[in-house]
Amino acid sequence: MIKNEGRTIKRPYTRIIAGVEIMFNGEGFFITPSSWTEDVFQVLAQEAGVEEISDKQWMVVNFIRKFYAEQGKSPLNHHLKVGTNLSLAELEALFPGGLKYGVRRLTGLPDPCRRKVVGKRVKSD
Amino acid sequence: MKKITFKVNGIPNEFIVDENLALIDLLRKGLHLTGTKQSCDRKGQCGACTVIVNGKTVRSCLTKVGELEGADVITIEGLGTPDNPHLIQEAFVLAGTIQCGFCIPGMIMAAKGLLDVNKNPSVEDIKKALRRNLCRCTGYGKIIEAIQLAGRFLRGETTPDQVRPAASAGQIGVSHPRPWSMMKACGVVKYTDDLVIPGVLEIAAVRSPHFNARVKSIDYAEAEKMPGVVGVITAADIKGTNSIAVAVPDEFIFCADHATVLGSPIAAVVATTRDEARAAAAAVRVEYEVLPRVATAAEALAEGAPNVNPDPDFSNIVYESELIKGDAEKAFSSSAHIIEEKFSTQLVHQACLEPETAVAYVDGEGDDAQLVVIGRSIHVHMHAAILSVAVGWDNVRYIEAFAGGQFGIKTDVTTEGIAAAAALHFKRPVRYTATLAESLVMTTKRHPYSMDVRLGADADGKLTAYGMDFIVEKGAHASIGFVIMDRSMDMLSGAYNLPNVKAEGKLVYTNDAWGGSARGAGPPQVNFALESAVDMMAVKLNMDPLEFRMKNSLHPGETTGTGQVVDEWAFLGCLEHIKPFYDKACKEAKDNKNETVRRGVGLAGASFGIGSANDSSNMAVELDPDDGLTVYGSVADPGEGNDAMLSQIAAHCTGIPLGKIRLSTRDSELVPDAGVSASSRQTFMSGGALVKACEELKAAMKEAGAKTHADLVAAGKPTRYMGKKILEDVQGVDKETGQGKTWGSFVHGAQLAEVEVDTKTGEVKILKMTTVVDPGTIFNPQAVIGQVEGGADMGAGYALREHFVLGKSKDWITYKFPTFATYFPKETVLLETPRSNAPLGGTGIGEFTLVATHPAIANAVYNAIGVRICDLPITPEKVLSALGKK
Repeated sequence: MIKNEGRTIKRPYTRIIAGVEIMFNGEGFFITPSSWTEDVFQVLAQEAGVEEISDKQWMVVNFIRKFYAEQGKSPLNHHLKVGTNLSLAELEALFPGGLKYGVRRLTGLPDPCRRKVVGKRVKSD
Repeated sequence: MKKITFKVNGIPNEFIVDENLALIDLLRKGLHLTGTKQSCDRKGQCGACTVIVNGKTVRSCLTKVGELEGADVITIEGLGTPDNPHLIQEAFVLAGTIQCGFCIPGMIMAAKGLLDVNKNPSVEDIKKALRRNLCRCTGYGKIIEAIQLAGRFLRGETTPDQVRPAASAGQIGVSHPRPWSMMKACGVVKYTDDLVIPGVLEIAAVRSPHFNARVKSIDYAEAEKMPGVVGVITAADIKGTNSIAVAVPDEFIFCADHATVLGSPIAAVVATTRDEARAAAAAVRVEYEVLPRVATAAEALAEGAPNVNPDPDFSNIVYESELIKGDAEKAFSSSAHIIEEKFSTQLVHQACLEPETAVAYVDGEGDDAQLVVIGRSIHVHMHAAILSVAVGWDNVRYIEAFAGGQFGIKTDVTTEGIAAAAALHFKRPVRYTATLAESLVMTTKRHPYSMDVRLGADADGKLTAYGMDFIVEKGAHASIGFVIMDRSMDMLSGAYNLPNVKAEGKLVYTNDAWGGSARGAGPPQVNFALESAVDMMAVKLNMDPLEFRMKNSLHPGETTGTGQVVDEWAFLGCLEHIKPFYDKACKEAKDNKNETVRRGVGLAGASFGIGSANDSSNMAVELDPDDGLTVYGSVADPGEGNDAMLSQIAAHCTGIPLGKIRLSTRDSELVPDAGVSASSRQTFMSGGALVKACEELKAAMKEAGAKTHADLVAAGKPTRYMGKKILEDVQGVDKETGQGKTWGSFVHGAQLAEVEVDTKTGEVKILKMTTVVDPGTIFNPQAVIGQVEGGADMGAGYALREHFVLGKSKDWITYKFPTFATYFPKETVLLETPRSNAPLGGTGIGEFTLVATHPAIANAVYNAIGVRICDLPITPEKVLSALGKK
């Protein structure tokens, strides 16, 4: 749960991954989903604890990237279920971090909430 | 019951009805003539239900059917159709009058009543004839223009074809009639309450009458037995999180334990008719433990104050923010002149005419069925996603109906939550249309600010430093209050070069109506303080306020309060162009010396940021088989003119005639995510994404050598192309430095208020408001002027009258809604300095006037009476009190 005592907003940050400079928001989601590549994904997945990407994981990743490119929006859970023929429980278990911080974050989708973290915005001394 | 015979739109009808039935109900429910609207809980306050009976205008909400034997009733549908419109409907479209359109059928019927007896009405004739008709969007000026244009049509002096822009006139800077305006003029677009849904169940909510209470028990046994009742739903029936909050989980579809503000939803009754639902809702017995109310920020911040949010993890300070540029304290210590003052702004309501409303139904069977929510404003990821999680249903489709006003209020979920939950629970189509009184309590407002301000200047009149400590009364729900605070900070320096800035803000919970997005969203409050302080400094230095502003305007290469280096600053040009108006106004004020009624002239500026950190928009275009073009994107258009912007940009970029540009913007299943229609961002962001989508299409056609849809298909190319715009270079402020680039673009302007203050009554009368605005390239001048004029009217209400008091502001009269009686003339000068990073050089406009109007009026009042009133609204009582203290 987000708490408002003494909390600072997590700022966006930039990383170079697989030779690509990528901007992330404070929650680790891509700010520019177009900078996602398969190589970047593999690095991020490894960091999340996935040693080897399974066929099922690739299938979901490919569906999401195609959906986002063609539709210009992130798939809702319903679209994911229908498009991958997996249950929500299966999708939730697919990557460490579950649907939001696993599937959605690693596939380069924007932060699904796009809600700023509540807290303090102050200059640090 | 009684048999009554009368004509409706020329067709004789026999009705067997309760003779006390209001005519509006017969028209809307019995005959589905839904062009006749209702806004004011049938109090005869809004005029949206105006029809003509036996040649005279009447308010159909006050007209009993029993009085109509043998009568001849004409509704908006009887006047004309989009294919064969009446000249008055043509005039309203061609004058650029129509924004949200909710009031328009009533306005047109009232205009017809006037023009039938007077084809050449004066402004005063029009104001008198339409005195009972309300409009929030236009500021009334365009309605007056439309009626006078209609008079010219009816007198045969000109024709619609002579007024209508030619197709050859191009798409940029041309006021083509907006795509949906004729349908709105003819009353045929469907707002949510107009949708014909046979068998739809109606919802009425049970709401807390207390400002703060614990819900001990809910007893709806009696309610369930009442006629027509299908059932009652409470928080216990919600399968999802029940939360419809944006960030802090403090707002729920139904309150389970605590009701932290008057009007908190406790339960809802679903019945076969709205009257039955409301009767049963009144019979639901809720036992409350009334808790102490934290009424003000001061009470909330006092030691030992109870927590407003029942979750102990949340203190009463929801959010704190700070802005530091340079060294303000050091600069103050060496400043030759310092102004110190306290300013405050009040809680106000966005006041959309259409009551809050939503429809929901389940399409299909089983777990894969789709929950369809027809709501108030499409925002794919805010509304569809929030609802999906709140009600616990994955497959949610959000469709935007036509909406009667927005002004920020529709960025939060309201009626959609209860409607979606009820549709799922009862597996029946439901509609929830709230009363006006209920709509007033269930929606966000504009936050009240309390601001302690310091402004420094050197001996030459150059500003040196600015300081502000402010407290924002949040109300009971956080909503997007933290965004409002950040926007206040990010635009704190307004139009000026302020080398040193120090500001601290606190967002504080109270048990009161809660703030959210409201036209301008943060800058209107802080700009009131800044523009007032700038005026005070000019007086202190004995400098002309216009020259003082010119001397202190920001310039390209200089930095805003957040340290953003600007590459253009068209504000100075706005001041230069307003100078002749200002000089004339000052001379007239000097020439009209009167001890009792005193004239005053006031200025204010605004430089308004558009396109926030990492904002993004996705748009798509599809070449249709008839070589027309469909534009896709979740670009809500409750009246601002996004329809004109999208269609004219698409026609300009592709060369496809305007008549063959189609817009698909309302269905989450069809549209890419273009973000929210708020923050004046859609032209800059989605207009930009649309330009890119058009370029993608044109590139594909060029590559294929295609000139038509058939060519493109034959070449094996897709017919649909995406365009994305992402503000990668706008990162917001850095936590370490407190500085950063916060905006992708700016709209600039200056406003000049001319007022008369009656020193005996304290009344302030606005004689004229002149606006010079520079939003870059202008696509549709009428749409831009419509935004400026409507915003000026809203700003005048903010300055002089409007103040929402929860529990007391129950309708449009108690809220002091603007009327034809408060109308004032407006003149708008449009400047066009193309913006390098904006689509075709044009940026947004919708909120600009809400930033400058009220300080311009406050400065004019000071200029008139020599006493400054620093707490809005400037009521007659405050004026008299100030004069007494002089």
